[in-house]
Amino acid sequence: MRLNPLTVRKLRRFRALKRGYYSFWLLVGLTALSLLAELLVNDRAIAVRYDGEWSFPTYAAVKLGAEFGLEGPAARSPVNYRELRARFREEGAGNLVIMPPVPFGPYENNAYDGILRATPPDAGRGHYLGTDSTGRDILARLFYGFRTAILFAAAFTALTYLIGISLGCMMGYFGGLFDLLLQRVIEIWSNIPFLYMVIIVFSVIPGTYSTAARIGILLAIMVLFSWTFMTYYMRTETYREKARDYAAAARVLGAGSARIIFRHILPNTISTVVTFIPFTVIAAITYITALDFLGWGLPPPTPSIGELLKQGTANLTTAPWIVSSAFAALVFILTVVTFIGESIREAFDPRKFTVYQ
Amino acid sequence: MPLIPRRLRPLLLGPLLTLMAACGGGPSDDAAPGARDVTAEMQEYYRTKVSIPAAVFESFERGEITQSEIDERTKQGEFPLFFRQASPEDIPAGLQWEDGSGLPEFAAPEAVKGGTLYSFIDDFPRTLRLLGPDSNGSFRPYLLDDNAMRFAQRHPNDTSVGPSGHRYYPGIAAAWALDPENSRIFARIDPEARWSDGEPITVDDVFFMFFMYQSPYVKAPWYNNFYTRNYTHVTRYDDRTFAVGIPEWKPDALARLLELEPVPAHFYRELGPDFPERYQWRFQPTSGAYVVLDEDIKKGRSIALTRNKDWWARDRKFWRNRFNYDRVHLSVIRDPAKAFEAFKKGELDAFALTLPELWYDKLPDTDPLVQGGYVAKKVFYNQIPRPTWGLWINQARPLLDNRDIRVGIQYATNWDRVIREYFRGDYTRMRTTADGYGEFTEPTLEPRGYSIDKALDAFARAGFETRGADGILVNAAGQRLSFTLTSGYSNLQDVLTILREEAARAGLEFRIEVLDSTAAWKKVQEKQHDIQFTAFAVSPEMYPRYWETYHSVNAFDQAFLADGSPNPARRAKPNTNNLQSIAIPELDKMIEAYHASTDVEEMKRLAFAMERILYEDASFSPGFVMPFYRIGHWRWLRWPEGFNVKLSRLSGQYGLGWIDQNIKKEVVEARKSGKTFPPKVEVYDQYRDE
Repeated sequence: MRLNPLTVRKLRRFRALKRGYYSFWLLVGLTALSLLAELLVNDRAIAVRYDGEWSFPTYAAVKLGAEFGLEGPAARSPVNYRELRARFREEGAGNLVIMPPVPFGPYENNAYDGILRATPPDAGRGHYLGTDSTGRDILARLFYGFRTAILFAAAFTALTYLIGISLGCMMGYFGGLFDLLLQRVIEIWSNIPFLYMVIIVFSVIPGTYSTAARIGILLAIMVLFSWTFMTYYMRTETYREKARDYAAAARVLGAGSARIIFRHILPNTISTVVTFIPFTVIAAITYITALDFLGWGLPPPTPSIGELLKQGTANLTTAPWIVSSAFAALVFILTVVTFIGESIREAFDPRKFTVYQ
Repeated sequence: MPLIPRRLRPLLLGPLLTLMAACGGGPSDDAAPGARDVTAEMQEYYRTKVSIPAAVFESFERGEITQSEIDERTKQGEFPLFFRQASPEDIPAGLQWEDGSGLPEFAAPEAVKGGTLYSFIDDFPRTLRLLGPDSNGSFRPYLLDDNAMRFAQRHPNDTSVGPSGHRYYPGIAAAWALDPENSRIFARIDPEARWSDGEPITVDDVFFMFFMYQSPYVKAPWYNNFYTRNYTHVTRYDDRTFAVGIPEWKPDALARLLELEPVPAHFYRELGPDFPERYQWRFQPTSGAYVVLDEDIKKGRSIALTRNKDWWARDRKFWRNRFNYDRVHLSVIRDPAKAFEAFKKGELDAFALTLPELWYDKLPDTDPLVQGGYVAKKVFYNQIPRPTWGLWINQARPLLDNRDIRVGIQYATNWDRVIREYFRGDYTRMRTTADGYGEFTEPTLEPRGYSIDKALDAFARAGFETRGADGILVNAAGQRLSFTLTSGYSNLQDVLTILREEAARAGLEFRIEVLDSTAAWKKVQEKQHDIQFTAFAVSPEMYPRYWETYHSVNAFDQAFLADGSPNPARRAKPNTNNLQSIAIPELDKMIEAYHASTDVEEMKRLAFAMERILYEDASFSPGFVMPFYRIGHWRWLRWPEGFNVKLSRLSGQYGLGWIDQNIKKEVVEARKSGKTFPPKVEVYDQYRDE
């Protein structure tokens, strides 16, 4: 891929800004890890050797206890691999269960001393951040919650940009009545209170929808009410760019509107686009966390940072580890993204490359 | 609820979700008094109102006859008058007048009056009206249910059933008598009974009660229906003596009259179409001990009740030594966690600790406040009909019409784990659909416990034999065994997530849907739910109700064809309490027999048989029962020996507590000086069911 030499210089400059650069790779790394969450944080074993045969339950269909020689009700229900590991060890028959580093799933209710309640962090039990008020592992819930949030934020950013950039550029490029009318529509649209819309729409969505569908709907509503901000910037940028000679030259050469907008004008407004990305990501993560905190986000028992924060504030004095884990995680993610954003802004700052006379 | 709530309502637990709760008064706050007078209309109504027999009502509801036909027949004088005048000589001579005066008192003789009780409400009341829109909120018990006097009240400790039903002690009525042959009940109002504004309580107020509750002005359809259908007439013998007629005689007929609360006719002179706005913020004079003064209504912030020092019943037996606080101050605290902190600081005098989390974790016995003896913790086992917490399975939905699947769901629902590990073994498993009715509760049934094997077998019988990749069972047609589990109780969401995880082990998927309480209630009322986690509030009645919840007329518009087979075109009937869409002809017959029966033994036999049918039907998975309530309170609050009464559902309900000012002074000083008292953690289990 051949990049514009200016862009290459900007990227090189970004790389030189260490804090943002490392933050960027940290975030990419974390996101990549979270995509492999099932192998790292899970109640299903990574690998099981039973009677000399290896099986890999992580991504396979649910296995029943009978497959590993369990009897009674356990034979007919899904395997509890932690119990299976203990059993195999006890038997010492050469059978083996390899569990992920955090051997708990995000949904399991683990009772200790026969009571479901928040227990403090305990590395011995494998609950590195403790459990929440119904005995679910906080690290597991945070990790899966982070994955949802970051993927949600990525999809949100991509979609708002797609709509916002297209419409913004068109408004700026075509101008006239189209611009005038759409601008009014946007002004009205952007004044609809977004939170109320989420609450209203979610109160009428039937519960028969799967979690994925509900996340999709939440995403759609949020995109629907958030794309407008991008149009303002793209509209003014396009207005400015289209008056330049290169745009006129392209037109003279017979290029169509779409080609001029997307091949000529858009690359020249890239710094605006790029600079806003981290802030959009932050906004998306904050939104989804806030909605979950308020109880209007993802359906229970979907793991999420907002839900943990809510539990944490309700148990501030009795289980401070819930709120501190969730809060630290949120602050960490938002700080990392902010560092990236700051560096991008600096790297793409046009003043570095413009000489004023 | 004003009287016996004939239509059961969903139990309100915890704070009601009140978005955008506008508490400001409307423009008609200051409606000019005297601008309207309903007297003439009222007298015309007394003269002409007739009592329509139930059979005519029902055929009208079925559309067999029209309103104009009824009007025509009324004009011809076919129906008897509702409001009747008679003279004292017309009172039958052979009546057995009772006055309940031989019952024991239950308040503490050492109680002293005085002081202010500080408590909280989670939302400011939307109105001071006792009925009409927005009136059924968390504040109404302070005005009505736990404050206003009835003609007589059920004795809260002596719950035995005598020849004339439950035991009542006198309130506004000084004496009463039954006339079963003519299906009527007589009462004599205490000559000293007064409203809080000094006006005497007379039979006018009884007549007016019927007029007002039957009136469309009050915008309360439940009242309109109840007070029209459940009474056939009211007769005045003199200013203090009257009788009411009821359509059919029942073992608890006495309650139909004695639990009524008269309405001050003089206060509602301006009753009209604008009733909800006109009376929005006016305090109705009460027969009870506490009044609300205008200066204590601080909208959105606080409201206070003030003890009426001239209350007519203050020295009466059963009423003395009760309602002791001079003032009850209720601040609005919307967040329960914040309210709890206020309690720990001593800004609130008491706090309900029924939730295990509060009792064990947030205020454990080791807490310095408890150890220092500043705050006492109390558990009180009561004996009242239990709210019906459980899973209500709608058998009109696809798959759920299969009994095997419902049985499977019962076995896959792990209430035992919820009770043992989440409620820490404090609560008990509900057994039937009507626990807590004493002799009327089926004594032998045991609910189905959690069993993966039995659940899988039941599902296999329904064709769900193999597990899909996610472990959920699928049938040959590829359908997943998956149902939506809806609830309006976000504070009990954890219960649902535990049930979900346990059900998944048995191959059943619950998709959890937590809605706000209104939306959830709407959903069941439209019968749109698969499975609902909810409960009906029940009041201390003599026997459980089956018609509302289980009769087929409340399930479908036309449940059966003429030949008795299920009607294939039947549609679910909205706005009834038959949440399971149960329609069983055999059960219908029993319900009708139960409804018509006047014999306690026969009713019991029928109730037990119906419970068996319902158990076999398996569409209600009985959940849990809270056999007690728990509170924490500052040391200066005092209670009678034995703490409270058998029928209480909350500590303050019967007005039995009082404040000891000396102890309060002592505790406040001790807090400063660090002095401590012996800790008080007390269990009152004298009324515990075994």
